[in-house]
Amino acid sequence: MFHRSRRRLAVAAAGLLALTTLVACGDDSSDANDLAENRVGAMADYGVGAQFKATEPLAFSVLYNNHSNYPLKNEWLFWSELTKRTNVKLEPVAVPASDYEQKRSLLIGAGDAPFIIPKTYPNQEDAYVSSGAILPVSDYLDLMPNLKDKISKWNLGPEIDTLRQADGKFYLLPGVHEKPWHDYSLAVRTDVLDELGLAVPKTWDELYTVLKAMKAKYPATYPFSDRWSKPHPGGNLLNLLAVTHGLAGAGWNYQHASWDPNARKFQYTAATEQYKQLLQYLNKLVTEGLLDPESFTQTDDQARQKLANGKSFVISANAQTLVNDHRPDLAKTIPNAKLTKIPLLVGPAGEINPASRLENGVMISKKARESKNFVAMMQFVDWLWYSDVGQEFARWGVEGTTFVKDSAGKRTLAADVNVVGLNPKASKHLQKDFGFYNGVFAYGGNPDLVQAFFSAEEQEFQRVMNARAPIPVAPPYPFTDEEREQASLWETPLRDHVTQASLQFILGQRDLSQWDAYLTELKGKNMDQYLEMVNKAYDRYQKEHS
Amino acid sequence: MVTTGTRQAPPRPRPRPRGSRVSRGYRVFQAVNAVILTGVVVVTLYPFVNIVARSLSDEAYIIAGQVSLVPRGFNLETYRLVMSDSMFWTNYRNTVVYTVVATVIAIVLTTCYAYVLSKKHLRGRSALVGIAVFTMFFSGGLIPNYVLVTSLGMKNTIWAIAVPNAINVFNLLVMKAFFESLPVELEEAAAVDGLNTYGILLRIVLPLSKAVAATMVLFYAVSFWNSWFAAFLYLDQQDLWPVTVYLRNLIAGATGAENVGAIAEADEVQAEATLKAVTIVLTTLPILLVYPFVQRYFVSGVMLGAVKG
Repeated sequence: MFHRSRRRLAVAAAGLLALTTLVACGDDSSDANDLAENRVGAMADYGVGAQFKATEPLAFSVLYNNHSNYPLKNEWLFWSELTKRTNVKLEPVAVPASDYEQKRSLLIGAGDAPFIIPKTYPNQEDAYVSSGAILPVSDYLDLMPNLKDKISKWNLGPEIDTLRQADGKFYLLPGVHEKPWHDYSLAVRTDVLDELGLAVPKTWDELYTVLKAMKAKYPATYPFSDRWSKPHPGGNLLNLLAVTHGLAGAGWNYQHASWDPNARKFQYTAATEQYKQLLQYLNKLVTEGLLDPESFTQTDDQARQKLANGKSFVISANAQTLVNDHRPDLAKTIPNAKLTKIPLLVGPAGEINPASRLENGVMISKKARESKNFVAMMQFVDWLWYSDVGQEFARWGVEGTTFVKDSAGKRTLAADVNVVGLNPKASKHLQKDFGFYNGVFAYGGNPDLVQAFFSAEEQEFQRVMNARAPIPVAPPYPFTDEEREQASLWETPLRDHVTQASLQFILGQRDLSQWDAYLTELKGKNMDQYLEMVNKAYDRYQKEHS
Repeated sequence: MVTTGTRQAPPRPRPRPRGSRVSRGYRVFQAVNAVILTGVVVVTLYPFVNIVARSLSDEAYIIAGQVSLVPRGFNLETYRLVMSDSMFWTNYRNTVVYTVVATVIAIVLTTCYAYVLSKKHLRGRSALVGIAVFTMFFSGGLIPNYVLVTSLGMKNTIWAIAVPNAINVFNLLVMKAFFESLPVELEEAAAVDGLNTYGILLRIVLPLSKAVAATMVLFYAVSFWNSWFAAFLYLDQQDLWPVTVYLRNLIAGATGAENVGAIAEADEVQAEATLKAVTIVLTTLPILLVYPFVQRYFVSGVMLGAVKG
């Protein structure tokens, strides 16, 4: 009796399981097509160049990254004008920018996430895919004509492919750039270069010559003392070297797998010949007293202090630290110093621009799919984040109020509006008082938009970088859930060991003749198994989706 | 503060030996004591003074590492920047309100629970203690807590801050120990004189427990004042946040790489090093001012209860 009832239960459970699988499958196949019940408020003739306007007033919840540069205000022109143009009211769920990612995880995990989840960087969505709480947006690209248009016009296919998961779908609507936008480089004291009669270095080898000359003139200094070493030692420097040596990334952007286009497979970044070369290069700088050994351990403040006090002449920089940190520091200590961010030094990989053309983007909650306004919402997202008009609106605001346009189409900020110090005497602020140029809503675009508020020298830097070839995008190798779990178990010890050994090689605590021993140590930490998994995932993806 | 507590906690020694009876050894002891304790005071105070000095200094001097005890390049610019934002004051008011309300709730609930637990004749007492102690070691986890608070409709209300953290088990146990140390005879006498349970608690036990109550107020008030995590979890509107969340966000904004490529206004760059110091001063100062008033209870109160318990 008991036995039989248990068996019956098992059969019932199996049946139920099969049923749910079937239902799930049925759901999936009809999902993308059957939108008949989700079209309330949507436009029937929405397309590229069309102004989106919902046919009835709609409201969508949106996660809002409340940054202190643009703290949320309900009276912003952004909200009211948005509603006027699109008939959509956004309801922000404010999250402090300091802990945005944690709250996002919590809300998604608790099933309480808003419909629209912006400010999500590529690969951050991976963690949520298996939970099923995030919409596979690739199924609904037909609702987003502007995004599709930009993908084809700007040849973004390979970049988009890197977002794909093992199921061949992607779950993030990325911010897309027409041109790669690279920011991080080195800043050099050009007045010292002038004094020594040297030109701005263009390659890593020229940098070596320049540092050597600086050292000869000022023997008491370390000409190069770097910042951004916490938490990743040599975070920026190692990464710049790695990408210019044709690797995927190192330092603070450490990538375990680098694509080898000749062998057509992935190799382990820190075990490559290129990686050994860059360690050798750094080791040479340290041994000859050109690079401060403390570069890899000191805090940013210590590095700033050395540069400010003329104890070093070269430092890692981006457009912001150049203007906000180093120049004001120097103005107080060495008033006639000139510091310039030089174009990314060229390495064995040639003249390349390593920046990705994808930036942070938008996730959509799966539950939004059930909403009767789903189609309208996707159209709205497409308009605001991907249409030319929407992008201009999010960045520049309203013509006639926050900016003016001349006959050639060149935009200028209105006289009474300030942003990034362009109109320092203006009474109103584009971000704080109007809500435009807001990191939550303004992503990507063409260079004209991206560089809208850049200084002349930064635009020049971008001009040089944009003349270089974008790096070819590595093919995707999406892991399955189990593989991802296994990978994360292997990755941490591997990365720790790479960091530790790299520092030892650079600082001369370990001789580079021990390279083979180092490779053996990496193998002991499952490097080969890891690579095998990556290449297997790559092959599988190629077979299934190409 | 703990240092001060333990230093004063032992009962005073017998009246100090006078005149010639002061032994040489005792004087040496006193001298050594004075030196060591002065050292402790310096070590304890230095970070505070340094932070205050930094908050009043020019960023450049901090970066150059030239600020120790006296502000260099005196300016109040960062204070002005932080305090000129109306949201700062809204959030500051929230902090005060949350702290007061949450502390009152916490004190009432903790006192009631502790008093009940201190009664040895209570049936199921050990189960009640067990339930409380259990939560010291195990919790439901972040997401279940969030779901619970949300489904109770407490999200975006003060109750999300005040209620889930109302009973701190450590404080509860300290208070229970204190109540247990009160002579039973007092309560029996009060009962004979006709007081019921509530009367005993309100008229006899609580007046005798000012020390522990004051200490608990301090403990709770400080923890609610400093807390930001609950607010961060449960409050989705900027004007509900306490000042801790506001300042935390401000620092993150000043240090983060947001808007890379764009350049912030030179005069609006909130000097990161100064900003941190200003933040610390602004958040700790008010609660620091409470300490002197509660300290005497703190010393003779909680240690006494804890030792006897």
